[in-house]
Amino acid sequence: MQSNNGFYGEFGGSYIPEILYASQQQILHAFEEIKTDPEFIAELKETWQNYSGRPTPLTFCKNLTEHFGGAQIYLKREDLNQSGAHKMNNVIGQALLVKRMGKKRVIAETGAGQHGVATALIAARLGLECTIYMGAKDVKRQYPNVFWMKQLGATVVPVAEGSQTLRDALDEALRDWSSSHEDSHYLIGTTCGCAPFPEMVAFFQSVIGEEVKEQSKAQFGQYPDRLYACVGGGSNACGLFLPFLEEENVEMIGVEAGGKGLELGQHSIRLSNGLGEKGIAQGFATMFLQDKSGQLQDTHSIAAGLDYVGVSPIIAHLAQIGRIQMTYAMDDEVIDACSLLLKKEGIIPALESSHALAGAFKDAANLPKESRIVINLSGRGDKDIFNVAKAMNDQTFPEFLEDYLADYKEHLNNDEEA
Amino acid sequence: MSQLANYIAQKRQQKPILSMTHVVYGYPTVQESLSWMTRLLEEGVDFIEVQFPFSDPVADGPSIVEACHVALEQDLDVDSFLNDMGKLSRDFPDSRIVLMSYLNPMYRYGLQKLAKRAAEINILGLILPDLPIEASANYIAACKENQVDPIWLVTPVTPKARLEMLASQASGFLYCVARSGVTGHSSHEAKSKQTAMDEYLAHIKAHASAPMGVGFGLRERSHIEALLGKADIAILGSALLDAYNQGGQEAGIKLIKDLFQN
Repeated sequence: MQSNNGFYGEFGGSYIPEILYASQQQILHAFEEIKTDPEFIAELKETWQNYSGRPTPLTFCKNLTEHFGGAQIYLKREDLNQSGAHKMNNVIGQALLVKRMGKKRVIAETGAGQHGVATALIAARLGLECTIYMGAKDVKRQYPNVFWMKQLGATVVPVAEGSQTLRDALDEALRDWSSSHEDSHYLIGTTCGCAPFPEMVAFFQSVIGEEVKEQSKAQFGQYPDRLYACVGGGSNACGLFLPFLEEENVEMIGVEAGGKGLELGQHSIRLSNGLGEKGIAQGFATMFLQDKSGQLQDTHSIAAGLDYVGVSPIIAHLAQIGRIQMTYAMDDEVIDACSLLLKKEGIIPALESSHALAGAFKDAANLPKESRIVINLSGRGDKDIFNVAKAMNDQTFPEFLEDYLADYKEHLNNDEEA
Repeated sequence: MSQLANYIAQKRQQKPILSMTHVVYGYPTVQESLSWMTRLLEEGVDFIEVQFPFSDPVADGPSIVEACHVALEQDLDVDSFLNDMGKLSRDFPDSRIVLMSYLNPMYRYGLQKLAKRAAEINILGLILPDLPIEASANYIAACKENQVDPIWLVTPVTPKARLEMLASQASGFLYCVARSGVTGHSSHEAKSKQTAMDEYLAHIKAHASAPMGVGFGLRERSHIEALLGKADIAILGSALLDAYNQGGQEAGIKLIKDLFQN
């Protein structure tokens, strides 16, 4: 979606410290160039295809459709990307841009670690130095991803400031960039931040919706009636929705994280129920969860990737003008939706994506049988094994962990003695 | 000439360089921060730059970030803050208070209202580091109307044409950032390039009619001496906070004397 000088309605813009002005301008110009450069686009498509496995399938879910008895349900399988999530689409695009700008190092923020791992993967492949900022709390919650980032050669910096989550990681990434902008690129993971990041990330992610257009025509001869995507920062939602913006008959539903309840600190709902308010922070204007004095507030979601205090200015604008309907799913509904997909279709969804499932499942039974909905399955759920086991109250998991830990320690001890 | 520039010009007739000392409002408590500001003003600093804390201060390094987060453990509101500043400004008419904050708390308060209230309590300069001049038309108009100066920042990597534009637009004073990066010591500073200070300041001076303040990374007497004749104000932020954290008000005052006294 083309911005109006970086703005989408009253949201977006570029509110950054003066020190970052020149670097921001450099990205702006580089992005303008590559958008229409056939050579760049060809390399991008080649890398998407041969490194990340695109195009990803559009999968019809016969069992789920019968289960609800309403709309025909399709999944866009972003979980089948290299790294297991749609994050790869964007990091490939930006990393190729970094090469073109001649920079040698990338900095990224990460919440759950998905964007961090995706960035570390492409950095390893393209020979870029890589530093990942991650809230200290998230480092503890998502250690397997931290492990892989380190194995891929990235430096992972736990951020112990503030709420020790994604927004603090983003702050710290901006601070690094303020010092290192001459050699480093800030490889933001979502459609947020100062212009042109929202537009650029949306541009790279739009491959999702473009493929759905072709695949839906090929599979059932027309576009879907409704699209569903979870909304954290907003990148997978932008990716699925934006190519359909001009198709007036296609309805779009964004699903935010309702968490444990609607009290401040228990959820990440910025665009429903009047919970978020307009603010300007972290480089851009959008709807933030904040107090009356304009201090950003803590958020919660069972899905670390949706646990963000702001939201894409593109989504905020489209929600404001009514082009996208916003709803939310609570933690327990998300676990139920995840469980249903496992049992009915043999697909393991990420908890983030399970929000989109939960939102769609609420509507499916009430939609006409001839209608078709596409849910963006933005990521796979292997990473969530610990959290899902806990949420499902699996009784044998602790035993496994204890045994594994005992064995691990014995292995380390034997190693030291040998 | 703006009231602030006028004040600087008069003071500069007696001193080779003026001191601006930075304090975080509400750190470690509102009362203690007010006591610290009072002490600084009693000691005769020319300016205090008072930062109203924000949860996500992206241009600041660890010392100031930590102070902001500690301060925000209390419920701080902009109205009480401005009332407190108004009282200090009345009690110390020979010094000036400059207000610094990130945009969001002030945006929520209202930039128009902020300029009006600032003028009423004799706060003549406002620093909002994440509000770029391109997005400031209403703010600039509100400042003009109330005869308050919006203070713009320039940096060693600001492109030449832009630096000249900012310098020519500057009123009150121009805040010249001395190096890349965030305020104070941080794990990032090794990544930033060194600045050729003299050349940088001379270039700005050629285009700025407003006085020049220099900040970021000033910690030693030699840093201040290097600015004599090239800038009007030396801004002391994180170094002062670090001294205060280590030895309270006395250590802070000692640092100021070491840096500024003849």
